[in-house]
Amino acid sequence: MEINARTFDRELDLAELLASVPLARLAQMLAALLGGDFRLVTTGGKLILGNASPFAQPRRVVIRHDLEALGYLESVVADEARLAAAAGMVELMLQLSARYHMAAELHIETVQEDYAALQQKHAALKESEARYKSLSEELEARVKQQVNIIETAQRQLYQAEKLASIGQLAAGVAHEINNPIGFIRSNLGTAQQYVGDLERLAALMKAGDMAQFQAAWEAANMEFVAEDFAALLRESVDGADRVAKIVADLKGFSNVDQSEEEVVDLNDNLRFVSNVLAGQIKDKAELVLELGTLPRILCLPGHLNQVFLNLLLNAAQAIAERGRIVVRSEVAGNEIHIHISDNGCGIPEGNLDRIFDPFFTTRQVGSGTGLGLTVCRDIVQTHGGRIEVKSKEGEGTTFTVVLPI
Amino acid sequence: MAEFDEVNRKITIKLVYYGPAQSGKTTNLMRLHDLLAPDLKGEIMTLETQNDRTLFFDLLPLGFKTPSGWLVKLKLFTVPGQVAHDATRKAVLSRADGVVFVADSQRSQSVNNAEAFQNLEENVRRVGLDFSALPLVVQFNKRDLPAAQILSEGEISQRWAQAPWPLVFSSALIGDGVKETFARLLEQVYPALDKHFSLRETHGVDQQSFVVAVTGG
Repeated sequence: MEINARTFDRELDLAELLASVPLARLAQMLAALLGGDFRLVTTGGKLILGNASPFAQPRRVVIRHDLEALGYLESVVADEARLAAAAGMVELMLQLSARYHMAAELHIETVQEDYAALQQKHAALKESEARYKSLSEELEARVKQQVNIIETAQRQLYQAEKLASIGQLAAGVAHEINNPIGFIRSNLGTAQQYVGDLERLAALMKAGDMAQFQAAWEAANMEFVAEDFAALLRESVDGADRVAKIVADLKGFSNVDQSEEEVVDLNDNLRFVSNVLAGQIKDKAELVLELGTLPRILCLPGHLNQVFLNLLLNAAQAIAERGRIVVRSEVAGNEIHIHISDNGCGIPEGNLDRIFDPFFTTRQVGSGTGLGLTVCRDIVQTHGGRIEVKSKEGEGTTFTVVLPI
Repeated sequence: MAEFDEVNRKITIKLVYYGPAQSGKTTNLMRLHDLLAPDLKGEIMTLETQNDRTLFFDLLPLGFKTPSGWLVKLKLFTVPGQVAHDATRKAVLSRADGVVFVADSQRSQSVNNAEAFQNLEENVRRVGLDFSALPLVVQFNKRDLPAAQILSEGEISQRWAQAPWPLVFSSALIGDGVKETFARLLEQVYPALDKHFSLRETHGVDQQSFVVAVTGG
């Protein structure tokens, strides 16, 4: 504020009180009223209005304002009454002027006061605005940080889910390989025994004692050995072939995280996954394959194997004691439909909308991430397909993987 | 603090009538104008009212000459009581030498009284005065209203028993207690004036003659 506030109730002198009055006109009027020259002076003798040089023997009247004499009105010609009336008029003018002064200056004081208060408020507001701004920036940074942490954790979980199904697979494969390895090992043990028998007989034959040789031949039951030796070698070759096949099939899974597309018959994938799982679930469920003829399609076989594995594992888990899982494949229009059905517990209707949501699980905490079906849906969607589900509580569930040809 | 004008041999004292809206501050001033007979008495100057309610302030100048020939001038102000005029109230209160707090005796006005008193305390501090040292008289006005409407003297005295300020009951409309209130304030104001301007020693004015000179006895 540029106007300098003076206190509104300060004492005003004559000059100040007349500052806002047009003095030339006042002088004319006073001269007319008083019939000639006059002087308006302060109590200190200072001239305010009228004749510059003092009168020799003037008549004078006190000009009062606010209890005090502020000055004198002097005239040589005017009589007492006229002079008193003129002085009274000047006093009235002073009174009005004082009112104006006080009101105006009080107004300025209050305006300045309000302005100062506004400035203070403004400063306080600015300060709090700055505080909120820095607070919000800090919050934003922290939210970003948290989002990063959550995203990282989700990626890790997603990865963990993939690895978990590979772990399941590894267990199945181990079982599948262990079987033939077991009987091959046992066959080889028997073969070793047979080779020992043969060495002994060969020694007797060299000695030329045919009677003894004949007796030993009978004792060793060589007729049977010859037959059995051939059989167990055949069996072992079969077993070795089976292992070789499993290992060959396993390549389909080895590229779970690679995105190299191949042209495959999905029935092979279904057979393989079923084989791998059959050992694990045979106590619970009968696994039936009803595979129709499918055209070969370009896909990521490792990824789709994972889908089938997950769906089969879910089906097995839905079965409480003894049940049946049917894997059926067919062509419908320009789509391949792969149905995996179980006659297990089914999914409550209220949950059907949510089963593909990340982290949705009805299993106990720690026994599933709730990402299995999410991963499945993502994989099928990247193939341009979809997963459909039909379920009735207590009767079973059918998942259908639909892929475009 | 009062103004001391060596050149014009003048001491100017400022007294303020404070209180809630429509408690009778202006009426007090008008009655004082009628009742007092000091050496010098000016006209009441009323600055802007709206429906009989003060917007700026009222001013009543009073004065007397000391034996030493000095002019002691008292300017009595009222403040606008309405809450909205706080800046004006604060400006009028600045440099006050003493305050009369005019409270409204009506039961319905207790809250307004309390708020106005709190406002007085705040504004006294804001204009740089010491509230504990400020001469103050508390006046409960409107005793002429029917007894059912107003707090009894007993109730009020009990409520204010712990307060250090003189308590006066008044009816400004009729004129009762108005002069007494003012006299009590003058008694309160005198010691500080005497201390600063040695009224008794230099100017020959003791407390009693001070009160008599201002009120006209």
